[in-house]
Amino acid sequence: MEKLKKRFRYDNAGILFVLPAFLYMLVFVGYPIVRNLIVSVQDVNAGNLVRGTKHFVWFENYRELLGDSVFTTSLVNTLRYTLLCLVFQFAVGFALALFFSKRFSFARPVRGILLAPWMIPVTVTALMFKLLFATDIGVLNYILRSLGLIEKNIEWLTTPETAMFALICANVWIGIPFNMILISTGLTTIPKELYESASIDGANRVQTFFKITLPLLRPTIESVLILGFIYTFKVYDLVYVMTSGGPVNSTHMLSTYSYKLSFEMFKYSKGSAVANVLLLILMAVGILYIKATTKGEEE
Amino acid sequence: MDEEKKISGKKNMILCAVSVLLLCVLLFPLYWALITSLKTEQEIFRNPPTFYPHVLNTQSYAAQVETGDFNMFRSFANSFLISMGAALIAVILAVPASYGIAKYRFKGRKVMLLSFLVTQMLPVSVLLTPMFIMFKNMHVYNTWISAMLADATIGIPFSILILKNYFASIPKDLEEAAYLDGCGRFTAFVRVLIPIARPGVMVCAIFSFLYAWGDLAYGMTFILDQEKRPITAGIFNFMGQYGTKWSYLTAFAVVTIIPVALIFIFMQKYIVSGMTSGAVKG
Repeated sequence: MEKLKKRFRYDNAGILFVLPAFLYMLVFVGYPIVRNLIVSVQDVNAGNLVRGTKHFVWFENYRELLGDSVFTTSLVNTLRYTLLCLVFQFAVGFALALFFSKRFSFARPVRGILLAPWMIPVTVTALMFKLLFATDIGVLNYILRSLGLIEKNIEWLTTPETAMFALICANVWIGIPFNMILISTGLTTIPKELYESASIDGANRVQTFFKITLPLLRPTIESVLILGFIYTFKVYDLVYVMTSGGPVNSTHMLSTYSYKLSFEMFKYSKGSAVANVLLLILMAVGILYIKATTKGEEE
Repeated sequence: MDEEKKISGKKNMILCAVSVLLLCVLLFPLYWALITSLKTEQEIFRNPPTFYPHVLNTQSYAAQVETGDFNMFRSFANSFLISMGAALIAVILAVPASYGIAKYRFKGRKVMLLSFLVTQMLPVSVLLTPMFIMFKNMHVYNTWISAMLADATIGIPFSILILKNYFASIPKDLEEAAYLDGCGRFTAFVRVLIPIARPGVMVCAIFSFLYAWGDLAYGMTFILDQEKRPITAGIFNFMGQYGTKWSYLTAFAVVTIIPVALIFIFMQKYIVSGMTSGAVKG
């Protein structure tokens, strides 16, 4: 304990280093959060957005949401989309991480290149998947046709269910590298001796996976899933570019619906209310994440 | 790691082949966009589709340079300026902040650290309307500055959380040696600690740049004029206008990827550490 204390300076001068960044975030993020809460209980439209008196309507905007079927659809969509994306990107990411943990010559370089989808601007990814899922020239329809699985081209992006499927595919594609690399890193922290002694004891691969790999990876898996949830749940660009919430509002997510209300229909208050619902759910999950990551943090 | 024996011989060959196959499948969307940008419009609509351009067509790139309305280079430059600005703000603010958090214990430290952690989880939707009002009042609406200021809010918390670990790992002795040599707190920080944490600073700069480069929501909402908008908003507009002109669209996409690809190729090691250290430990 004594040794630990000595590593730091108990000195309030430290705050001076942190203050500029903190103030910046307070002005450009902290204040907007509060402002957004206020806007959501007022009646703000294009006329009084910047100047003019805004009347308080309190929970009127939120009440309106309850009867709004697009809001309900968006909420259900966001949850369904997030959970399905998480399952697939985690499964594929995990499998790839295990595969690349084998020490063959291409393991490192190929795994490195596979990170590319995570780096590409989401707008571009959305465009690429729009091309793959295009009705007439889409390569996916061509492949399915050649395999004899379909006879007529599927209109992926203009049919509600398949549009959602296309969105999930695109998001899983982005998420796989993230899952893969975090799990890869987690795998390297498992001491090799454990595997050796397990194999001496006659454990087979399935047993070592469930008895050693999974339990020791638990902290990594937790943070991968929670972070994955947060990143996926707040999805905006991908959906906005690929479907813009269509066809007929069927693929709206909370974020895209909020944007539509605010910046296309100029119902700023209702848009803010939707954003706050999104925020509330994210924060609930975020608390889990903070609890998980600050567990080992020194006082 | 290195004592562990490498796989060799036939098994190695098979695993390498499988990994290349995986690579081809997973990166197919990228390949497809690239070759589509090099095809003629007729070839794109050919059935069955061609898996490499039979007639090489660079017109899609040339045409976008020539037309004034959607000048690719213009929006490329806008994006570049905005992203550089955002990365600069993020690094300048995050480097001292992360040092303060890593090396000092002061009142409010935990609250500050937590609030940086929380901002990483915020959805853009919450910030858009208030920022919109704020930027209008600050008279920076419809300028690069608005997007720059907004984009930096993504880079700052990310950078702080990464750099904090870098600074924390620097032994106290190094700093103390600097004090003995007569350095003040600030000089020690600039002369001794920053150079050691340089790889971390690089990671932060790169990721802050990339976050800003990939942003669509801020650039599209706070900048109205097409000629000032970033390249992502340019693509989005282009999609609306030219719907199915896929040769043009994919060419636009390829140009947008170029800086990302360059960073990816030349700074590979920073990318892995950026993706992992930002997430695992807060």
